[in-house]
Amino acid sequence: MKTTILLIGIVLLAGFLRFWQLSTLPPSLTWDEVAWGYNAYSLGIDGKDEFGRFLPLDYLESYGDYKPPIYAYLEVLPIKVFGLTEFATRFSSAFFGTLMVLVTYFLTKRIFFSSSKKEWYGLAASLFLAVSPWHIMLSRAAFEANIATFFIAVGVWLYVSWIQDKKSIFLFLSLTSFILSMYTFNSARIVAPLLVMLLAFSFWKQILHYKKLVGIASLIGVILLIPAIHFFLSPQSKLRYNEVNIFSDVGLVKQSNQEIANDKNAVWSKVIHNRRLIYSIAYIQHYLDNLNPSFLFISGDGNPKFSTRDVGQLYLLDIPLLIVSILFLFRKRIDYWWIVPVWLLLAIIPAGVARETPHALRTEGALPTWQILSAVGLVEISFFFKKQRKIVLSVFLGLFTLSVFYFLHGYYAHYSREFSGEWQDGYKDALLYAKTHDNEYAHVVFTSALGRPYMYTLFYEKINPTTFRATSTITRDAFGFVNVEKVGKYNFPKEIVAMKNTLYIVSPSELPEHAIVLKKFLLQNGQPSLVAYTL
Amino acid sequence: MKKFQISNFKFQITKTYFLVILLIIVTSALRLFLVGHVPPSPDWDEAALGYNAYSILHTGRDEYGQFMPIVLRSFDDYKPALYSYLIIPSLFIFGLSIEAVRMPSILFGITTVVVVYFLCRDLFHNNKLSFLIALLLALSPWHIQFSRIGFESNVGLSLNIIGAYFFLKGMQKYYLLPLSVIAFVASLYVYQSEKVFVPLFVCLLIFISFNNIKKVSKKYLFSSILVGLILVMPLGFYLATNTNALARAKGVSVFSDTSNSTQTSLRVRQDKENHDYVGLLIDNRRVIYGKEIIANYLTHFDLRWLFLNGDVSRHHAPFMGLLYLWELPFLLIGIYCFLFSKYSLNTKIFIFGWFLLAPLPASVTTGVPHAVRTLNFLPTFQIFIAFGVFTVFEKLLRSTYHIAKIQIKYLVILFSFCIFLFNFIYFLDQYFVQQNYYNSLDWQYGYQEAIATISKLPAKHVIVSNQPPLDQSYMFFLFYLRYDPNLYQKETRFASGGFRENHSFGKYEFRPINWKDEKKDSNILYVGRPSDFSESTTALKRIEYLNNEGAIEIVRGE
Repeated sequence: MKTTILLIGIVLLAGFLRFWQLSTLPPSLTWDEVAWGYNAYSLGIDGKDEFGRFLPLDYLESYGDYKPPIYAYLEVLPIKVFGLTEFATRFSSAFFGTLMVLVTYFLTKRIFFSSSKKEWYGLAASLFLAVSPWHIMLSRAAFEANIATFFIAVGVWLYVSWIQDKKSIFLFLSLTSFILSMYTFNSARIVAPLLVMLLAFSFWKQILHYKKLVGIASLIGVILLIPAIHFFLSPQSKLRYNEVNIFSDVGLVKQSNQEIANDKNAVWSKVIHNRRLIYSIAYIQHYLDNLNPSFLFISGDGNPKFSTRDVGQLYLLDIPLLIVSILFLFRKRIDYWWIVPVWLLLAIIPAGVARETPHALRTEGALPTWQILSAVGLVEISFFFKKQRKIVLSVFLGLFTLSVFYFLHGYYAHYSREFSGEWQDGYKDALLYAKTHDNEYAHVVFTSALGRPYMYTLFYEKINPTTFRATSTITRDAFGFVNVEKVGKYNFPKEIVAMKNTLYIVSPSELPEHAIVLKKFLLQNGQPSLVAYTL
Repeated sequence: MKKFQISNFKFQITKTYFLVILLIIVTSALRLFLVGHVPPSPDWDEAALGYNAYSILHTGRDEYGQFMPIVLRSFDDYKPALYSYLIIPSLFIFGLSIEAVRMPSILFGITTVVVVYFLCRDLFHNNKLSFLIALLLALSPWHIQFSRIGFESNVGLSLNIIGAYFFLKGMQKYYLLPLSVIAFVASLYVYQSEKVFVPLFVCLLIFISFNNIKKVSKKYLFSSILVGLILVMPLGFYLATNTNALARAKGVSVFSDTSNSTQTSLRVRQDKENHDYVGLLIDNRRVIYGKEIIANYLTHFDLRWLFLNGDVSRHHAPFMGLLYLWELPFLLIGIYCFLFSKYSLNTKIFIFGWFLLAPLPASVTTGVPHAVRTLNFLPTFQIFIAFGVFTVFEKLLRSTYHIAKIQIKYLVILFSFCIFLFNFIYFLDQYFVQQNYYNSLDWQYGYQEAIATISKLPAKHVIVSNQPPLDQSYMFFLFYLRYDPNLYQKETRFASGGFRENHSFGKYEFRPINWKDEKKDSNILYVGRPSDFSESTTALKRIEYLNNEGAIEIVRGE
C-alpha cells in the first residue's frame, strides 16, 4: 500500500516534470519535430505521409533522411485530439517518458526478484529516472529515440517476466516491443537484436525447454520484420550511416600509410599499423567517449538540445552511488544483476561508430540502467547504516534535491534565453505574422537560411497535405536530398531576388539596403532571428 | 637445520639481487636507448633548466643574476630550482648538452622503479607481485615518457616514493625518518604541484601509521620534524617575501579563468528581473568554480585520456595514451580484487588514498587532464593492474579445462602474451620512430642545426624571431652557443628573457621579424619561420622539422 502511494507520487512527479509548460519549453520546434508533427497530421487525414506514400512502414522520408516511422503513427491520435500544435507534437515523447518511469519500477523488481529490498530498488530507480536530466530533456521534445528507449525497456521487462512466470503472452509481447523499437529509432536496430541475442543465450536452458513456443515467436518476429528488411538492404538505409560514421575518415588511412613509411615499409610495421587496427582504435575511442566523466556528470552532451550544459547527463551525486552499486553487484551477484551492466555496455555500441561522440540521444537506449545502478547504490548505502540511516538518507536526499533543483532552475529560468537559437526560434512568430498579412501581397518569399522553411509553413499554416502535394514544387538532388521550392504562395528560393508586391522574411544578414522593415522576430536573448520586409 | 636456513636466506638475497638487477637493466635500457635523440631536442623548459645550471655552475647566479636561487624566474613561470642544481654534476661529464639536462631525470626514474619494488614488498609481502608492479612501471609509457626527459615532475615523483618508503620503513628503523623528511622537502623544491600533493600525502602516511608513530622514539620524531622545519624555511621565507613566486600558480589556476563570467552575469541579471532570489544564490561564481574544480578532477578518470589519447603531444607517444590498452580490463579487475583482498584496511586506504590524491593539484589548474601534474598517479595504476593480472592468472593456472589433450590455459596464456607483446612493440614504434616524425615541432626542433650554421656565417648582427613556434628562442641560443654566463649577465645587466619580451645579447637580437620594414643590410642575418619572409627571398639555409615541414630559415639581408 505504502509503495503504491509512493509509486503513484513518483509517476505524478515524472508526469509533471515532463508535461508542465511542454509547448514553450524547449522554446520552439526543431526541424525534426515539425516534420513529425506534420507527417502525423498528414497520416491522420488521408493515411499518406507528406510526399503521398500510403501508410509507410519501412521508412518515412524527411529532408532526404530516411527515418523509422513509428513516432509519426503514435502522434496521429494526439494531433487529432489537440490539433497541430507544439504540445500535441511532443505529447507521445512526454507520455511514453512518463510511462517509462512506471516500467522502470516493474523492470527493476523483476531483475532483482528474490531480493528482500526489491521494492526499494524499484522505487529508487523510478524516482531517479523521474528526475533524470537526461530523460527529462529527451522526453520534452519529439525525439523518437525516447520512444525506442521505452520499447527496449518494456522488451527486457516482459522477457524477464516470461523467464519467471513462463506465461507465453509475455514472450510474444516482449518480442513485439523489441521489434517496435526497431521501427522507431536507428540505434535500436542494433541494440534490440543484440539484447535479444544476449537474453536468449543467457537463458538457453529455458529457450530449449520451450522450443515450440520460441519457434513460433521467432517466426512471428521474422514476419513482423519483413516490411523493414527490404529497406535495410537498400542504399537509402545506409545514407544516415554514411553521413555520420568514423570509417569514412581518410585521415586514418593517411596515418596508417605515413606510419608504415616511417618504418621504411617493414613487414612488421604493416601489421601493427594495419588500417583495420587503426579503425578499431578509433572505434574504441568513440565508444569510451560515451563514458566520459564530464559528459556523464558535469556538462552533458555538447549539443544543447540534449542537455542544459549545466549538469551532466547524470547527477554528480550519482558517482558514489554508481561505484558502490557496481562493487556491490559484482560482489553479491543477486539474481539477474548482470543484465544491468551488460545492457548499459551494449546500448553504447552503435553510438561508437559515429563521429559525434559522446551522444546523449544515440546512447539513450542505456536508460534506465544508469538509474537502476544508482538506485541499488542508494538502497545499499542506507541499509549499511543501521542507527544513522535516517541522518545519512536525509543528508543525501537533501543534497540530491538541491542538485535536482539546480538543474530545474537552469532549465526553467535560463535555458530558453541561452539556447532558443538551437530550437529554430523565430519561425513560429514569423509565420504567424505572414499568415495574417499574406493576403496583402502577391508573393511571400521566405529565406532558407534557417533550414527547411517549407515544413514550418506547412505546420503553422496547417496546409492540407493534398493541397501541399498538388501546389508545391519539389526537386531532388543527386544525393537524394529533397528541396521544396514553392508551397502555394510561399517561395523558398536559394537566392533572394528583388520583386515588387512581395513580403520577404529573411535572416538579418540578408537584409538589403533599401528595405522597408516591417517586423523583427527575436530569439529569447533579444538577438533578431528573422526579419520581415518589403520593397 | 640451521645451515639449511642460512643457505635459504642466502638464496633469498641472491634472488632479490637478481630481480633488482633485472629491473635496473630493463629500466635503464628503455631510458637510455637513443637518449638525446628521442625526443629529438630539448624543449624550452629543458633548455632553460640546462642553461641556468650552467650559469649557476660558472657564476653562482641564474640568468637574472639571482645568487643561488631556490626559484628560477626563467620565462616568468618561476620554476623551482632544484632540478637545475641536479644537472650540475652531469655538466662535468657531458658538458652543456641535452644528455646532461636529461640525465638526472633518467637516474631518478631508474631509482623509482627499484624503490617501488621494495616499497611494494613491504606493503604486500609478495615478491612476485611486487616484481610485476615494478616491471609494469619500468615498461609504462607514462613513466618512460617523463623519465627520458628533463621534467622536474619525474624527480618529484621519485622523491615522494623514496619519502614514503623511508617513512614506512622508519616505523621500525627510526633513523630513516629524517631521510624521509629530507626526500619530501626536496620534492617541494623540485616541482610546483608537490606543494599541494606532498602535504596531503604525508598526512595520509601519518594517518595510516598513526599507531606506529606513537611508538617511535621521541628523539627521532622530533629531530625529523626539526630537520623538516629547517629545510622548509628558505622556501617559506621566499614564498612569503616574493610576490611573484606564485605568479605561475595564479596564471594557470581555475580562478583566473574568466570564460564563464559573462554567462553568469547574464543569468544574474535575468534572475533579478524575475525576482528569483534562490536563483541568485545558485548562479554564483563560487558554484561555478566549485563545479569546475570537480570537473577538472574527474577529467583524469576519462578512459580515453588514459588509454588512447593522452593530452599535449609532448606528454605521450603519438596515437597512444598513458597506459597500455591491454591493461584496461586488468585495471578494472585489479581495483575490485584489491578492494576485497586480504590486505589490512590501512594498506588499502594508503593505495586508494594515493590514487585519489594524485589528481588534486591539477584540479585547481586549467589545461586538464594533465599528465605531468598528475605524475604522482604512478605507480598506483601499475599496482591495480598487477593485482588484476595476478588474480586472473592465478585462477587461470588452477583451471584444468582442456580440449583434445591441449590445456586451454596454455593457449590463453600464449594468446595473452601475444597481445601484450603486440602492444609493447606498438608502443616502442610509436615512441622511438613515430614520435620524432609527428612531434618534432612540439619539441622545438631545429635550433641545434640552425645555431651551428649561424655561428659559421660572418655577421655583425643576428635578428631572431621570437614568435610562436620560435618563442623563447633566446634561450636556445644561450644553450647551444654555451654562451658565457658572466658575459651574458654583464651584457643584459640581469634583465633576461621573461615571457614574450624582445631581448638581446651580444650580436643577437630577439624580436618579431617584419620582413617589409627590415633594413636588410648584408651584415645582418635574419633567423625566422618560413612565413616570416616573402616568397621571393632565398634562404641561406632552411631547416626542416622531421616531417619535412619548414621550421627555421636563415636569410641574409640583401
